Amino acid sequence: MFNYLIILIIYLLSANVQGAEVRNEPIKPLPLHQPDLNLKLVDLGDRLFHDPRLSQDNSISCASCHVLSSGGTDRLPVSVGVGGAKGGIKAPTVYNSSFNFVQFWDGRVDTLEDQAAGPVHNPLEMNSNWTEVIGKLQNDQEIVVSFRSLFDDGITPENIVAAIAEFEKSLVTANSRFDRWLLGDDSALTDFELIGYRLFKSYGCISCHQGANVGGNLYAYMGAMGDYFKDRKSVVTTADFGRFNVTGKEDDKHFFKVPSLRLAAINSPYFHDASVQTLSEAVLVMGRYQLGREISASDVDAIVAFISSLLGEHHRLKP
Amino acid sequence: MKLKSTKYTGRLLLLLTLSIASALLLVIFWEDESHGYAEVSDQLIELKELDAQLDRDVLRVTSFLLSHYDSLVSTSLRLREMEKIMRVPGQRKYETLEGSIDEYWLAMTEKLEVLERIKFKAALVRNGIHYLPVAAESVKRIDLTVYRQVLELLNELYVYDLFYTDSQLAEINARLEQLKMTRFADSASQEVLEKMIFHIRANLDELSELGELKRRYLAIASHERFDQLHQQHEKHRFEETRQRQILIVTLSVVVFFLLLGLWFLVRSLHMAHQAVNQSWMRLHDAVENLSEAFALFDADNKLVLFNRRYAQFYPWLKDTLRAGVALETLKSLSGNHVHYLEVKGRQLQADLPEGRYLEKTEQDAWYLASNNLTSEGGLVCVRSDITESKRSESELRKLSRALEQSPASVVITSTDGTMEYVNPKFEEVSGYSAEEAIGQNPRILKSGDKSQQEYREMWETLLAGKEWRGTFHNKRKQGDIYWEAASISPLRDENGKITHFIAVKEDVTAQKRAEDQLRMNATVFDTTSEGIIVTDADNLIKTVNPAFSRITGYEAEEVIGRSPQLLSSGRHTDAFYEQLWSSVMQNGYWSGEIWNRRKDGSVFPEWLSIAAIKSDEGVLKEYVAVFSDITKHKQDEEKIRYQANFDALTGLPNRTLLSDRLAQSILSANRENWKLGLLFVDLDQFKVVNDTFGHVVGDELLQQVAERIRECVREVDTVARFGGDEFVILLQDISDPEVAVAISTKIIEAVTDPFRLYERDIFIGASIGITVYPEDAGTADALLRNADMAMYQAKEHGRNTYQFFTPSMQRQTIERQQLEQDLRLAISRNELEVYYQPVVKAETGRVSSLEALLRWNHPKKGQISPEIFIPIAEDSGLIGEIGKWVILHACEQLSTWRHFGHEQLTMAVNLSSRQREMGFDANFVQEVLSKTGLSADSLTLEITESLLMRDTEETVDWLGSLKTLGVNLSVDDFGTGYSSLSYLKRFPVDVLKIDRSFVNDLPDDPESVSLVNTIIAMAKSLGLGLVAEGVETQEQVDFLRAAECDLLQGFHYGRPMTVAALTDWLDSDRRASVNS
Repeated sequence: MFNYLIILIIYLLSANVQGAEVRNEPIKPLPLHQPDLNLKLVDLGDRLFHDPRLSQDNSISCASCHVLSSGGTDRLPVSVGVGGAKGGIKAPTVYNSSFNFVQFWDGRVDTLEDQAAGPVHNPLEMNSNWTEVIGKLQNDQEIVVSFRSLFDDGITPENIVAAIAEFEKSLVTANSRFDRWLLGDDSALTDFELIGYRLFKSYGCISCHQGANVGGNLYAYMGAMGDYFKDRKSVVTTADFGRFNVTGKEDDKHFFKVPSLRLAAINSPYFHDASVQTLSEAVLVMGRYQLGREISASDVDAIVAFISSLLGEHHRLKP
Repeated sequence: MKLKSTKYTGRLLLLLTLSIASALLLVIFWEDESHGYAEVSDQLIELKELDAQLDRDVLRVTSFLLSHYDSLVSTSLRLREMEKIMRVPGQRKYETLEGSIDEYWLAMTEKLEVLERIKFKAALVRNGIHYLPVAAESVKRIDLTVYRQVLELLNELYVYDLFYTDSQLAEINARLEQLKMTRFADSASQEVLEKMIFHIRANLDELSELGELKRRYLAIASHERFDQLHQQHEKHRFEETRQRQILIVTLSVVVFFLLLGLWFLVRSLHMAHQAVNQSWMRLHDAVENLSEAFALFDADNKLVLFNRRYAQFYPWLKDTLRAGVALETLKSLSGNHVHYLEVKGRQLQADLPEGRYLEKTEQDAWYLASNNLTSEGGLVCVRSDITESKRSESELRKLSRALEQSPASVVITSTDGTMEYVNPKFEEVSGYSAEEAIGQNPRILKSGDKSQQEYREMWETLLAGKEWRGTFHNKRKQGDIYWEAASISPLRDENGKITHFIAVKEDVTAQKRAEDQLRMNATVFDTTSEGIIVTDADNLIKTVNPAFSRITGYEAEEVIGRSPQLLSSGRHTDAFYEQLWSSVMQNGYWSGEIWNRRKDGSVFPEWLSIAAIKSDEGVLKEYVAVFSDITKHKQDEEKIRYQANFDALTGLPNRTLLSDRLAQSILSANRENWKLGLLFVDLDQFKVVNDTFGHVVGDELLQQVAERIRECVREVDTVARFGGDEFVILLQDISDPEVAVAISTKIIEAVTDPFRLYERDIFIGASIGITVYPEDAGTADALLRNADMAMYQAKEHGRNTYQFFTPSMQRQTIERQQLEQDLRLAISRNELEVYYQPVVKAETGRVSSLEALLRWNHPKKGQISPEIFIPIAEDSGLIGEIGKWVILHACEQLSTWRHFGHEQLTMAVNLSSRQREMGFDANFVQEVLSKTGLSADSLTLEITESLLMRDTEETVDWLGSLKTLGVNLSVDDFGTGYSSLSYLKRFPVDVLKIDRSFVNDLPDDPESVSLVNTIIAMAKSLGLGLVAEGVETQEQVDFLRAAECDLLQGFHYGRPMTVAALTDWLDSDRRASVNS
């Protein structure tokens, strides 16, 4: 009897939450359901995402650098590719990547499909090519059958990236406490987190980190209010040029895609150059160079608390 | 008439096809393009909407009204997606718009770029506006005057934000300059002020940049480009539509005229049809009045026309017959009503065959039927009633059939003896056909053994009008003789005059033969060496043959009427006889060994077969028993059994018998719950005796040793010669391992006592390994193995001692078993890895080939040496699978390297002789080669010298078949064995590999130098290639180069490497060779 009562209450509560309007805030909730996904394709993509045969010496899969259980990154300053080769930039998280307006830090491709082909060919990452990869996959009867059941033309580069992209589209960390608050659940956030959110808006962080992905929808200049690269005191690398590397326009130097803050709480180190180890420090640096302001320690704590409430759920994610 | 209708139909079809084609064309022209047009239109509309959406959102961004950019992102993503769709080259629907599309997207791209800049700039400006009052608050805390100045400045700034004019900007700049002049005494306050000024300055700059971006954005002529695109699309559409209209009108006219033509055609067809109807009626009338039954079917086998008679002939079709009925329906209805026969009377399988045949209905009516095809493929059926003539015909036939089917030969001759009729039986018996016989005299059958006299008597009897009976011994046409009993009588006409003679004859050859057979059987019965007894159903002896008397000593008259039990030896149980008789009763026979007693009382073994003889009705009539004396056979058998189980030299049980006894003892030990002891005895110094004094002495020594050992054990124990100078002693039921110790000690003492042989004292000793069942092992094999192991341990501990099997020996066994277990999984767990070591040309130092070397990365024990795991693989048979894996792997890798530019590279793979037994054959190698696309000469198989030495027929064949494929064979570790030139000549070897142990001592050790020189000379003389292994120093290289050794391998050039490392090595080798 008591159980029924609880179920009824939960039902009423959830109905209440779902029925409510979304709060009018610059941040929007991530979708709870994705009815358009092709689940068989997601499943195939899942297998490919974890398949080391995509790398030259069968040592590295997508999941090697995008570790799904711990935030979709490897939590390293730069990723380690085939034969121990080191990359030039911090690996971004693969979670919620379908909500980014472009892929990679410098936005060099628009779609997840185009993105997936990138690391396969990068000599510092998987160091392979499609002929080699398809050759290996053709020997695996199970994979061949899976492809045949989904595509008439079997294993092709297009179909491989389509499957991986579909899988990546399923990597959404919905139902964060913040999202629940957005959907009307007043008890979802603590007062301290709410203070953090208010500060996040009033300091102006919100100007760039907004929308469903709390970022990921514009480019910003690293060091808008102060010379970040001069103060960093280490050599400026090609990776530091950001969008310039794609367009070749002087105006685009040091422009980067604003990263999503959805998993920021668990994805240290921070920034494209992984120069900062803690989220608090990252908030401080952002305040100094992007807002031209020194944020007090207590405010930083509150903002960090708010950012932590953005962390949603996914069955693979075990932070 | 028919021709005409075909012509009409042709025209009709042509016109109809043309009309339909034109109509289809019409529809296609109507449809074509409009779809593509609609699609492009939809896209243009969407573009327009997206552009407007973008403009709207940009306005909202620059007025800071847009709180997040997600909507902007989805608009711009959709735009970029559309750009991709529209700018795929070669799309037909865009071909007229190509230039405009490019221009449009150029503008849009720029717009999107500026938009990205605006997004960030707006964020900065918004933050500034938001922050400045907060910053001003901090100034207020320092100085109110300055605060007021700041406030005024901010006010101006916000006014500028809303209505930016140049004058306003000048005013703000002036105030800012003024503010910059302000100085505070303390540096902290000064810093607050400067920060304030920095933010105002920044905001001002960004504001103007944002303004500039906004102007740039608005200046982009995307809308004009769009209009241009749209107009061009519309114009193109208009032109297309006009052209199509013209086409449609033309086609419509064509269709109209075609339809008109169709109408005329249909009308003339109708008229022709009426004419046909009239002639049809006439035909119908004529057919109806025919006296024969008539039916006509068209080409589709549908009934077209039939007459009344037809219905009368087939009354069961009465209700079905009408025009249009299918022939099949009529056939199926006729089913059992009609039988079809050939004109000659034979049954026909097909119903309604073509041509003439007969039909017989169930009412016994006979029809002469004829079915003929018409020229258009139909069928005309005509039937006339012939029942009457059929009836009289059948009467006659009945009589003649009696003759035809008579089981006796019947011959009718004229009075002068000429044959006028013979029946089929005569044909069958004599071999002459009726055509051959008629007109001939029966003399043709004469075999010649009947006298003229007899023939004369026969004729006299006949001519006197009497019947003659007798037997002929005739000859068939084929030439063989047969017996015939004949009765010949005269035939008279109504006046009593003899017109013919009729002979009725019966073949009695079979009877005669049976008599012969019986005579022969009797002879066999009398003369065979096997005893035969025939008893009646009550098992009383009816008869026996002479052999019976010879074997048993009983005469026939002594045993007839008695039971065969009188032979019983008494050696078999009642159950044995019961089983014997039940087998005879159930299966009809029994055979087996049995002991019987002769008349003189002696007992002998016999091989006996008993068969029950039944009458045709299955009633048991008698039994026949056949037996032979197998006394001698038994003795031979015993001798063979002894030789198979006992050692000829010592008379001790051999290995085979020991295994049997051990297995039995284990069973009884389990049952009785007692222990067994197993002693493995190996003689010390025996070899020396053998070598010094010769085999004769050695053999005699072994006999004496056997005798002494036998004296040390009990009756129940088994002493076996295990082979050579090894003995195994199986001790039954030992209470305590100490018993084994006591016996071992006794044996050692007995053997160490000097032996006196050929007037010499000979001293030897014994080492003994002891195992105890069930403590040490559970199976016979394991017991023996463990005892053997313990014996070796005893030998190592200084001879003449015994040693128990211990757990540490056990551990070694288990470790080895564990390794074998792990090895079994190593392939599937990917623990095996192939390393490759380069072989270089001595002349240039550049790579020539590679040798594949197997490594095992054990997950716990690290890398395990091939010297340890290869013997395990060979013993367990795993070498089969592993060997195949290695060659496949190595060939695939070689193929990859060749693909990456090392085209000349070849590969050597090691081969073990055990692989031959495990199915590694030429077929498999061929399979690998074709799978990897390698030519045979790029592969070398390396065999060891010891394999070569085991010069068996199978090995030679095996290597020969591999060689036939075209692969190279090389001999590894050459020089360590004792192979001679003759070996090398027998085998199809291509390359020798000089063993590292010789190379190692080069160039200082004179013995190695001369050996290597000899090998090289020998190889040159046989035309073999040479590889020196284990080359480590420059001095060795210099020596070998001077000695004209072609190829070198060793650490000096490269260790065995992983694929990755060797790939690098090959690349640097290639660079070096390019540079040199």
